[in-house]
Amino acid sequence: MTPRIRRLLERALPKLFAWLLLAFLFVPVLVVIPVALTDRDYLSLPNNGISFDHFAALANWRAGWMASILTSLGIALASSVVATAVSAAFAIGAWVYVGRWPSILRVILLSPLIVPPIIYAVGMVRLWSKLGLLDTWLGVTIVHVILAMPLAVLAIGASLSNLDPRLVQAARSLGARPATIFGRVILPNIVPGTAAGAILAFIVSWDEITVTLFITSRGIVTLPRKIWTSIADAVDPALAAIATVMLAVTIVGLILRMTVWDRIAQRRS
Amino acid sequence: MTSFQRWAFCLTVPAALLTLCLYVLPILQVLALSFTEPTLGFGNYVALFQNAAIGRVVRTTVFVSAVTTVLTIVMSYAVAFALVHMPPATRRVALFMVMVPFWISVLVRAFAWITILRRNGVLNSALVGSGAVSEPLELVYNQFGVIVGMVHYMMPFAIMLLYANLSEIDLRIIQAARSLGARPVTIFFRVWVPLSMPGLAIAGLFIVIFSLGFLVTPAILGAGRVLMVAEYISVQISSTLRWGVATALSTMLLLVVAILVALAMRSPALRAAFEGGRK
Repeated sequence: MTPRIRRLLERALPKLFAWLLLAFLFVPVLVVIPVALTDRDYLSLPNNGISFDHFAALANWRAGWMASILTSLGIALASSVVATAVSAAFAIGAWVYVGRWPSILRVILLSPLIVPPIIYAVGMVRLWSKLGLLDTWLGVTIVHVILAMPLAVLAIGASLSNLDPRLVQAARSLGARPATIFGRVILPNIVPGTAAGAILAFIVSWDEITVTLFITSRGIVTLPRKIWTSIADAVDPALAAIATVMLAVTIVGLILRMTVWDRIAQRRS
Repeated sequence: MTSFQRWAFCLTVPAALLTLCLYVLPILQVLALSFTEPTLGFGNYVALFQNAAIGRVVRTTVFVSAVTTVLTIVMSYAVAFALVHMPPATRRVALFMVMVPFWISVLVRAFAWITILRRNGVLNSALVGSGAVSEPLELVYNQFGVIVGMVHYMMPFAIMLLYANLSEIDLRIIQAARSLGARPVTIFFRVWVPLSMPGLAIAGLFIVIFSLGFLVTPAILGAGRVLMVAEYISVQISSTLRWGVATALSTMLLLVVAILVALAMRSPALRAAFEGGRK
């Protein structure tokens, strides 16, 4: 091997390897699209042409997909609102009241990011069965609030760490009352972080499956739960159709985020 | 405490009540139940070590998690390394290819792998159709399928962590190595890899912890034939109602996670990485 070929290989091979790995990440999720368009009524690639019947099946109320989407939307909205409010209050409180108590509480609050959800699931089945909250809206919403709080706290905390504490000092020295400072000085300044926290909380609840699986049965069927039972049951291509819809929404959301993000960055610089 | 401070303190109370009553308490109860259900004592833990089925589940979990972690780290490092070296426009495309699977539901991803790896799935059809193999391969509902699905799930996390770590490395160090005549392979193994140890350790730690307690992907792609700890716990709770075994196994899992995190925090490199992430 001449040195030139060797140099070329040293440069090109890692690049090629990286793009193959990127394809391994990205291409498999796309496979749900052709399967959703199959003209047969079992999981397969389209045979004699494509069909949109399986998308139509999603709209059929009796199939239960619409009901589960509405259930997930309702629970995700409710838990996002509550988790954002509680997390914003905590983050602001901990930002002002520096001490041991908020920092210990912060570690506990963030721990669901590390503690395996299966352990929490086991605990909640027991507690909710005692309190009669198994398979109820309230039960699922509370669990999702707890699981959504870590990301909301992180997002809002990140926004607060960019806030100049002298703003608060100025407000205090001008005689503003605490409620005024929290509501009219701190809160308006952390709106972007709070919005990001709310979106993250929504997504956590919308996607949550492990704990929901344990604390619901027939009464509350969230979309992830419906998908879970459909995968276990069998081979309905409607599953590929709902997966395609979720993929499309994710891609649109990501493209929007990437372009809006760039606009903001451009405007700042 | 001034009234301003009192206000701030009160703002932390709702979060405290929620997490202490509805997160910490249920988990503490899991720990307590493992000693009291069905009878008081260490019976459940003795059973954990004597029961051959549980031993098999633990061995499967450790093996699958170890393979997943090593594969994920090596593959993610290759991607993160390439990302650092890409021109911005190309990098946007590559990051997009990482972010789409990251934000897609774990269920959709497991389902996609089923349609690809099944006996009459996309991959087997292609292989048989092209004559590469005469019989469809058994690619899923076994350890192979579980590991493929888990690596695919973990990679975006690992890539994001490693990319953040690698992009903080001072490129002048690399230039210095190059100007001193080091070849690319030497630079990679003796400059890049040692400098990215904190990132590698933290990504490895997260993947091990996620893998050990992972329910969804192993359950779907293993279909009961690759039984890991989380699915075993779930079966004990929902079918056989053996709360003692389930809570004891949960307690052991929590203990292992706690030990891993504590070990990680002892390492100065990792502590620096944690604190660096907090700035």
